[in-house]
Amino acid sequence: MAKIERTQKLFLKSLKEKFQGQDVESETTEFYKFNGYHQSPRKEEFVKASRAVEMDRGISMYDPVRCHLGGIPLGQRQLMTYEVSGTGVFVEGDDLHFVNNAAMQQFWDDIRRTVIVNMDLAHQTLQKRLGKEVTPETINEYLHVLNHAMPGAAVVQEHMVETHPGLVDDCYVKVFTGDQELADDLEPQFVLDVEKLFPAKQAEALSAAVGKSLWQAIHIPTTVSRTCDGGTTSRWSAMQIGMSFIGAYRMCAGEAAVADLSYAAKHAGVIQMASHLPARRARGPNEPGGIGFGLFSDIIQANRKYPNDPAKASLEVVGAGTMLFDQIWLGSYMSGGVGFTQYATAAYTDNILDEFTYYGMDYIKDKYKVDWKNPSADDKVKPTYDIVNDIATEVALNGMEQYEQYPTMMEDHFGGSQRAGVLAAACGLSSSIATGNSNAGLNAWYLCMLLHKDGWSRLGFFGYDLQDQCGSANSLSIRGDEGAIGEVRGPNYPNYAMNVGHQGEYAAIVGGAHYGRGDAWCFDPRVKICFADPALKFDFAEPRREFAKGAIREFMPAGERSLIIPAR
Amino acid sequence: MNEVKENMAYKPQYGPGTSTVAANRRKQMDPNQKLEKMRDVTDEDIVLILGHRAPGAAYPTAHPPLAEQQEPDCPIRKIVTPTEGAKSGDRIRYIQFADSMFFAPCHPYQRTYTECYRFRGIDPGTLSGRQIVECRERDLEKYSKELVETELLDPARTGIRGATVHGHSLRLAENGMMFDMLQRSVLGEDGIVRYVKNQIGEPLDRAVAVGKPLDEKWLKAHTTIFHSLGGSAYRDDQEYIEYVQRIHTLRTKYGFLPKEA
Repeated sequence: MAKIERTQKLFLKSLKEKFQGQDVESETTEFYKFNGYHQSPRKEEFVKASRAVEMDRGISMYDPVRCHLGGIPLGQRQLMTYEVSGTGVFVEGDDLHFVNNAAMQQFWDDIRRTVIVNMDLAHQTLQKRLGKEVTPETINEYLHVLNHAMPGAAVVQEHMVETHPGLVDDCYVKVFTGDQELADDLEPQFVLDVEKLFPAKQAEALSAAVGKSLWQAIHIPTTVSRTCDGGTTSRWSAMQIGMSFIGAYRMCAGEAAVADLSYAAKHAGVIQMASHLPARRARGPNEPGGIGFGLFSDIIQANRKYPNDPAKASLEVVGAGTMLFDQIWLGSYMSGGVGFTQYATAAYTDNILDEFTYYGMDYIKDKYKVDWKNPSADDKVKPTYDIVNDIATEVALNGMEQYEQYPTMMEDHFGGSQRAGVLAAACGLSSSIATGNSNAGLNAWYLCMLLHKDGWSRLGFFGYDLQDQCGSANSLSIRGDEGAIGEVRGPNYPNYAMNVGHQGEYAAIVGGAHYGRGDAWCFDPRVKICFADPALKFDFAEPRREFAKGAIREFMPAGERSLIIPAR
Repeated sequence: MNEVKENMAYKPQYGPGTSTVAANRRKQMDPNQKLEKMRDVTDEDIVLILGHRAPGAAYPTAHPPLAEQQEPDCPIRKIVTPTEGAKSGDRIRYIQFADSMFFAPCHPYQRTYTECYRFRGIDPGTLSGRQIVECRERDLEKYSKELVETELLDPARTGIRGATVHGHSLRLAENGMMFDMLQRSVLGEDGIVRYVKNQIGEPLDRAVAVGKPLDEKWLKAHTTIFHSLGGSAYRDDQEYIEYVQRIHTLRTKYGFLPKEA
C-alpha cells in the first residue's frame, strides 16, 4: 500500500459547524462549562414536555438533573449537532432516534408492510381450472377491486365492517412485468413501469429477468402491520387477494379453486421481505432479523438514481441499514435503551465514512485502474488475498490517520465501536466495489478490524472480541453450515447476531459489489422493482435525506390516527 | 507475580514490530522486565480509590477459606496453586482504567496482555474506552498498586473509572487532563493530580495524590499507541502491518488452525 494524495476532506464542513470557533485540529479544548443539558434546545424541550406530562398524569418522568449520575446531567462537554451525511442538514442527535423520527419509522413500516405476490399461478387456475378468460381488461378490473379491498373494504359479503380510507391511505397494489406490451395495456395507475423507472441498462436487465410473468407489489396499511407484525402482511394481503379474485372473476366463494389462489398468495407465489427467524428469536416473516443483505441492498434504490456513483449508492445502504438493523432491530427488538442509536448514527453523519470511502475510490482508481464512476464488470480486480489486503490496509491506515490529524473527529466518534464500524465499512466498500465480490469486501472488513485493534490497542465493546476477531475465518467460508455468500447472509447469520455497527455496513458491502459492477440488482430483481415505486411514503432512493427530513420534522408519515382520536 | 521459566521450549516474543511503540509494548508485557516505578501510593490510598471496602475493614468473603472447606478430588486444583485471595475465599472485585489516545502509556488490549503475562487469577475485559480486570480482592489490591505506581499510568491521561468512562478519545482539557464527566481526579495548583472521588464517583473523605503528570516527551517515548502525528506512525512499522496481514490471511484460509498446507 502507499498513501495517495486527496485534498478534499468531506467531513471538514461538519466539524467546523459542530465545533464553531475552534481549531478542529487542536488536541485541547474546554470542558465543564457548557451548562449541562441546557446547551441543547431539544433536551430543554424534553424537560418542558415532561413537566406537562407529569402535571397531567401525576407520575414523574424526564429529570436529567436528579436522575443522571446522581446529579451530574448530560452536557459536561459540548453536546454536538450532527450533519446527516450527504444532505447538508444538521440535526440534533436525539432526532435520529427512531422514536423521535417519523421517517425512520416509515422506512421500516414500508418494508414490513410489503409483500410481492405472483399473478401467473392465479391466472393459470382461473384459465385452466375454471375456464375464465384473463385479459388486460380483466386484470385492470381485478386491480380496481383489489385496491378497494386491500386497505380493508368488503367485496363479496354484505353487512361488513370496513376500514376508514383516511386511515389506510398508504395501502395499495401495483403490478410489474418484464413484458412491456402487457404493461402498456394495463392502466398506468396500477403499473410500475420498469422502462420509465430505471436507467436503460438496468431496465433491460430487470425486464429480462422478470420475463413475461406478472407480479403484484402489495403494501398493506401501515397501521395494520404496526398493530400486528410483519407476519401479518402476507396473511392480510392473501385474504384480500382471494376475495378480490372472487369478486372480479365471479367465482364461487366456497369452491375448492379458491384454495389454489390462497395457496399461491400465501405460499407458492409470495416473496416476503424477510424470512422467519428461529424460535430463540421468535419472529415471523417480514421482521428485520430475517432480511438478507442482498435483498436489503435491492430495497435501497440509490443505485437506480445514482448509477454512476456506487460509493454513494453503498453509503445510502449503510445509512438505511444501520438505522434498521442497529437502531430498530438490535437496539429495540433484541435489546433496549438508546445506546444503539449513538453508535449507529456515526456511520451516516458528518460525512466521515463518506470521506474514507471516497479515499478508497481514489485509491482503487489510482492503483488498480478501476473506473468506479463507470460501473462495469469488465474492470473489476481479481479478489486475491494480496489485493484485498492491500486495499483494506491502505483505507484503514488512511482513516486512522484522519482521526489522528483531526482530534475533533475523534471526539465526534468518541466510541471505539463507532470508529471500528466506520473504518471497516470503508475498507469493505472499497474492496467490494473494486472486486465486485461481496465476500472479498467482508474479508477486507475483518482485516481492518485486526489492523485497528493492533494499531490503537483497542477496538469496540466486548462484542467485537467475538465477532470481529474471528471474522476472518468465516468471511470466505461458504459451506452450508458455516457460511454463505454475502448476498444471502443476514442479521441472523450466526456470527452477526449481536453487534451494533455491523449489519448495515455488511449489507452495503454486498450492495457495493453489485453497484460497482453496474448490476441492476443484487439478489432479487422483483424487490428492486417493487421499491422503485414513487408512490411509497418513503423514498428508498434517498434514505439519508429522508431521515434528515424526519429529524427536522418535515417528513409526513402514514399511519395517522388523528381521524379517530379527540382533537388536541 | 508471573515470570517466564527459562526452560520452556516456547520463547514468548510479545508481539512484532520494529518501532518504539512495539518495543514499549514488549517491555510492558514481558514479566522478566521490571516496570519503572514512577510514584508512591500507599496501600490505604489504593483501597480508597478502588472503593470496594473501607480501609482497615476485613475482606468480605464469597466462600470459606480453601483450607476450611472440603475440596473435591480435582486434578486441576492439584496443579494450580491458588492465589492468596482465592485461598482466603475473597469475593471478586475490579479495577477499571480509561486510557487517553493522546499518548497514554498503556491502552486497553496492551493492559490485558500485560496483566495476563504478569498477574495470576485474573479476568480482564477489553473495550475501546476502558479496560477492566477482575480478581480476588486482596490480589486486586496488590495488582492495582503495581498498575498505579508504575509506568503503566500517567496521572493526567490515565483514569481509574468504574462507570462513566468517556474521555479516552476526547480532546484533552487545556491543563492536559483527560476529560472525566465526574472529575474524579483534579490537577492542583501545585501540579499534583489528586483523586477526590473513588473509581465509581463517590466523594472521598480525603484526597489521594497520584503525583505529577508525566511530560509530553516522556509520554511520546513510552506510549504504546501508534499515532501518525508526534509519535510512531503505524504505517511506518512495516513489520507490524505485515504481521497483522499474515494473521488475517492465515485465519481466512485455515480458520483457527493456521497450519499452512
